[in-house]
Amino acid sequence: MSETTNGKSDIIALNKVGKTFWRGKERLDVLQELDLTMKEGSFEALMGPSGSGKSTLLNLIAGLDVPSSGSLRVAGVELSQMSEGDRAGFRAANIGFVFQTYNLLPVLTALENVELPLLLAKLPAAERRKRAQTALKVVGLEDRMSHYPRQLSGGQEQRVTIARAIVSDPKIIVADEPTGDLDRHAANEILNLLGKLNTEFNKTIVMVTHDPAAAERASICHRLDKGALAL
Amino acid sequence: MIPISYNVRSLLVRKTTTLATAGGIALVVFVLAAALMLSSGVKKTLVAGGRDDNAIVLRKGSGNELSSSIESNTVSLILAAPGVKKDDTGAPLGSGEVIVVIAQEKLGAKPGQVSNILVRGVAENVLKLRPEARLVAGRSPKPGTDECLIGKGIAGNFRGMSLGEKFELKKNRPVEVVGVFEAGGSSFESEVWVNVETARTSFGREGLVSSVTVRLESPAKLDAFKANVSTDKQLQLEAKRETTYYEEQSQGTALFIAGMGWVVSVFCAFGAMLGAMNTMFAAVAQRKREVGTLRALGFSKFSILSSFVLESTVLAVVGGLIGLGASLLLSFARVSMMNFATWQEVSFSFSPTPRLLIGSLVAGALMGILGGFLPALKAARTSPIEAMRG
Ligand SMILES: Nc1ncnc2c1ncn2[C@@H]1O[C@H](COP(=O)(O)OP(=O)(O)OP(=O)(O)O)[C@@H](O)[C@H]1O
Ligand SMILES: [Mg+2]
Repeated sequence: MSETTNGKSDIIALNKVGKTFWRGKERLDVLQELDLTMKEGSFEALMGPSGSGKSTLLNLIAGLDVPSSGSLRVAGVELSQMSEGDRAGFRAANIGFVFQTYNLLPVLTALENVELPLLLAKLPAAERRKRAQTALKVVGLEDRMSHYPRQLSGGQEQRVTIARAIVSDPKIIVADEPTGDLDRHAANEILNLLGKLNTEFNKTIVMVTHDPAAAERASICHRLDKGALAL
Repeated sequence: MIPISYNVRSLLVRKTTTLATAGGIALVVFVLAAALMLSSGVKKTLVAGGRDDNAIVLRKGSGNELSSSIESNTVSLILAAPGVKKDDTGAPLGSGEVIVVIAQEKLGAKPGQVSNILVRGVAENVLKLRPEARLVAGRSPKPGTDECLIGKGIAGNFRGMSLGEKFELKKNRPVEVVGVFEAGGSSFESEVWVNVETARTSFGREGLVSSVTVRLESPAKLDAFKANVSTDKQLQLEAKRETTYYEEQSQGTALFIAGMGWVVSVFCAFGAMLGAMNTMFAAVAQRKREVGTLRALGFSKFSILSSFVLESTVLAVVGGLIGLGASLLLSFARVSMMNFATWQEVSFSFSPTPRLLIGSLVAGALMGILGGFLPALKAARTSPIEAMRG
């Protein structure tokens, strides 16, 4: 992590990152020579037209995928050469996920869904339960713990997802269109919550969004166009 | 590890598919358990004929009574051997017996259909030698007559084989049924007992017996008796405990039924396994995003693999328990079958043992594990990026 003038270090650093997909023989250079840094504790948005590579970039930062070229350091770890198994461990330790489609397991209750990431840490069951309850309190759903996802509204489901994302206390939260499926009111609640995680819990938040109102909440907004950063 | 409640509840969500798949496995476990129960029933019935304080003497290497023959004049030698019990009159408790098989027309079947019946030429003291055989109807045959007893397993099931009727032992050699006996469910109940002389003269066995059965003073006297009987190498005799003999006799039939059960089950198991595989493949496809999410959260490929194998195993065990439950209902049924050692019809029951029940259940679980493996492997290969796809 490189020190910078204001004392905060870069938690995310991309150096000439490229990502190429092959569709049969057709080569798709989705990201090209991308240089990008993000500071620890910042709230940054990624915007850009559909197909510009926002999700691809977010997946790289989250350790879901590896770049085709360049180097990528996240939370002090070089991800570009990391094996799939090691990346799974990296994600469990460092990344909280907020999905556009929430992705709660439908057969588990809100509390059980939030407990899931803790199953990867060696914690006693009582401790897991306690932490999951705390996380649900943070998102204001202490009265919905035993509800199944289908018994919750979209906004509530997304709050459960956020509780699941923070329960193991990762440094970074990645969110791909977290408000994409929500109405204005519910979207604002989610954005408030992300803001709170950023300011009160010092989480670094990387959020992909189409919504200018959502991007407003971020301190920095990056624009992506055809796989390159635009100004 | 992914909690098992996730798998159980996922199975409950797909009730119909789960039940249909479990049903296939239930069927296989049922067939297997039924065959093994029958096999153990056969063993039980055949072994029930033996007493551990009785010894049977056969010609060395003959394997069973049917193919054994011993000269009549050695019978008295055998009866005089040490260890043989004496009755109240001081006479040794034992006798030489002649065993032959006759074909007899079965009643209630297709006309002309015959089955083999074992005919045992016995001495007058047969009921003392085998106290578990008890008259349930009629009387004992008068000595020296062509009267006979029949086991209750064949009474009324064959032409001429009912109390008071006559049948031909051989052409122009009718015998009359004067009594019916039971013998603790053993294969004796499927036999005809006639006077040994009648059997000898009817079948040209003059001067010979098939076997000699004696009562020992105690089960422990077997070794002494055995040693004495086999000392004279010229006589070529071999003595065994009666229970051991019947156990050996049941081996072939019991193994045959168990073997058939396994063969049929293995074939059915392929179908049931493919069913489980199909169900699990569908489940994996349906839950692609769930699995992707678990992978994104950091669950390893191995934990996904084991989770789905576990799910399939739970499914199979449920099916297996249903199959076992159904097979246990068979313990109320009886079947009539050929005993291959003597080519005689014997009726058997399904007899469950803990070992075979557990074995069948394990076989069911194994189907789940094998059928679930490929789908689980596919699930484990799900990319975590699936979680991000809209
Ligand atoms: N696994 C893949 N294989 C092939 N092409 C891919 C793959 N993933 C993404 N792409 C392509 O890369 C390009 C960028 O995709 P990406 O999902 O990053 O866009 P996006 O900016 O997130 O768009 P949207 O706003 O619609 O979500 C698209 O053209 C897409 O078709
Ligand atoms: Mg996208």
